[in-house]
Amino acid sequence: MSLVIKNLHARVKDGAPILNGINLEIPKGEVHAIMGPNGSGKSTLSKVLCGHPDYEVTAGSAEMDGQDLFAMSVDERSRAGLFLAFQYPVEVPGVTNANFMRAALQARLPKGEELEAVAFYKELRGKMKELGIDPKFTARAVNEGFSGGEKKRNDILQMMMLNPSYAILDETDSGLDVDALRIVSDGVNAMRAPFRSFMVITHYKRLLDYIRPDVVHVLYNGQIVKTAGFELVDHIEQHGFDFLKTEEL
Amino acid sequence: MDFPDSMSMEEAFALAEAEAKLNAALAESKARFENAVIPDRLNEDWRFGRPHKYARELAELLQSNTPCTGSAEVQGCDEEAVIINADDDDLKQTEMLMPTIGSDALLGLHLKRFGNGYALYLEKSYDSPIIINYRSSGLYTPSTFIMAAPGVHAHIIENIHCENGATIFAARNIQVAEGAKLKVELHAFCPGVEQVQGRCMVITNVQNMGGEVRHLTNFLNLDWAREETVAEIYAEGSDTQLYSSNTPLEHMVLDQHTRQVHHVGKAVSNLLYKNVLEDKTTATFAGNIYVAPGAHNTDAYQSNRNLMISEYATVNSLPGLEILADKVRCSHGSASGPMDEEQLFYLLSRGIPRHEAHQLIALGFVEEVDNKFNAPF
Repeated sequence: MSLVIKNLHARVKDGAPILNGINLEIPKGEVHAIMGPNGSGKSTLSKVLCGHPDYEVTAGSAEMDGQDLFAMSVDERSRAGLFLAFQYPVEVPGVTNANFMRAALQARLPKGEELEAVAFYKELRGKMKELGIDPKFTARAVNEGFSGGEKKRNDILQMMMLNPSYAILDETDSGLDVDALRIVSDGVNAMRAPFRSFMVITHYKRLLDYIRPDVVHVLYNGQIVKTAGFELVDHIEQHGFDFLKTEEL
Repeated sequence: MDFPDSMSMEEAFALAEAEAKLNAALAESKARFENAVIPDRLNEDWRFGRPHKYARELAELLQSNTPCTGSAEVQGCDEEAVIINADDDDLKQTEMLMPTIGSDALLGLHLKRFGNGYALYLEKSYDSPIIINYRSSGLYTPSTFIMAAPGVHAHIIENIHCENGATIFAARNIQVAEGAKLKVELHAFCPGVEQVQGRCMVITNVQNMGGEVRHLTNFLNLDWAREETVAEIYAEGSDTQLYSSNTPLEHMVLDQHTRQVHHVGKAVSNLLYKNVLEDKTTATFAGNIYVAPGAHNTDAYQSNRNLMISEYATVNSLPGLEILADKVRCSHGSASGPMDEEQLFYLLSRGIPRHEAHQLIALGFVEEVDNKFNAPF
């Protein structure tokens, strides 16, 4: 049971190629970090896996527990267990957090079954407390007027509520202060389980100090060029990504 | 004219002067109805409004032998506050003096068919909403007059039920005295049908004499709806708010025209009209803020926003300003466009099916106005 990406090529629609043959397998229960310099294709990888309409898959495959991801629509992928915590969570004016979450959870229920409102609110409030989110945010529009850190926390709240099998965190640490980083990381760590895996995209070691990855990959020019253990994070922290230009990969 | 003995000379002169003015205005109004022509393509106020179809067909119906029939009921209001009298000359005179936005000829025909309706003289405040229902399944020309006395607080909900393809043409006059606070909702709709049907035209004149008024409109499930709302501000310190929220479906034509007329300065008016367009619908908004000479320190705003869910929908948005005074703060804005792809992707990425995602975003788009309907005033 794993997320398997084989020879994935993708480009911006009618534009230049960005992913140039990615091969990656993330088994259930593991946390994989994806690092890489700016423009290497990290965010593109996350968006392509989730089905963002700006991108076009030109070759390769991605399977989630044997299911062909690219044969599914965006919402089907989510309901099948895929989650993306956005680098820049989107504001949705006029739609409250509570209604948004209810719609997302309702969509996961069998036809004709209604979400139980009391249990829903109880769970939502509980998880908000864990993440240090003000309960008043349930009535506020999704991410509207939120600070960068509040938006990231809200995405993690959604992840906790939706309980995905495969979660992609795209630079979740950006915009978070030290305290928020710890709270968010604690939330993610609490979700680590044998039946769930994470792809953590980041530039910085500080997030990976909290969310300790099992495997670290370096993405460069649209390909995974190096895979190792946590020592690779230390190496990047000390030497940056310059070694990619000189070292034989 | 007879004057009571107790009346002073000055009061008698003032009364005579007011009566002379009224007579002159009525004569002028009579002339405008006599000279008015049924709106056609040359009528700028019917631009994009398909006058050859809707105005002409409405005029033909009003001029025909088709009887005007409809029921009217009011709830939540003291009996003494209500007058129903189709022969009331004062009410007819009030309607005669109502401004239109390009539809003098049609208002003239409405006057000839002056039927039932309600005149609410609100001399005390009401905690609960006063509800007026007009219903017809044929041709109907109700009239509503609402006069809120100084300091009165009230909330009026006016429902126009266009049943089974009815054509309802309503005239409304709303007067708000100094210190009064009035919220007036208009809901015009075809009830309980799967397809849009029915036509509704509503001409409204809001006269604000120093109070606060929030006027809201909503047109639903109709084949055609035309709104002409003229808000006139006659006293400093007045606060006039105009809102509309609509989700036209199928082939509905929604044609909205507004004027915010600042006769005096130091008053506020604010307009926000929002529509979500689906299917092959058409929405036209033409608004104008007029600031009279000398109406300094006016603060007026006008905004029209349209979310086009369907690529077959059409929007014509024509906001306008006519400012003849100095030291004013007036602005207008208009924005129409399709659904934000990033918003849609965000909802889809959480597993919300496309149809529900569209609905949530659409509801969110008009929520700002819908809140004005729901929130206490």
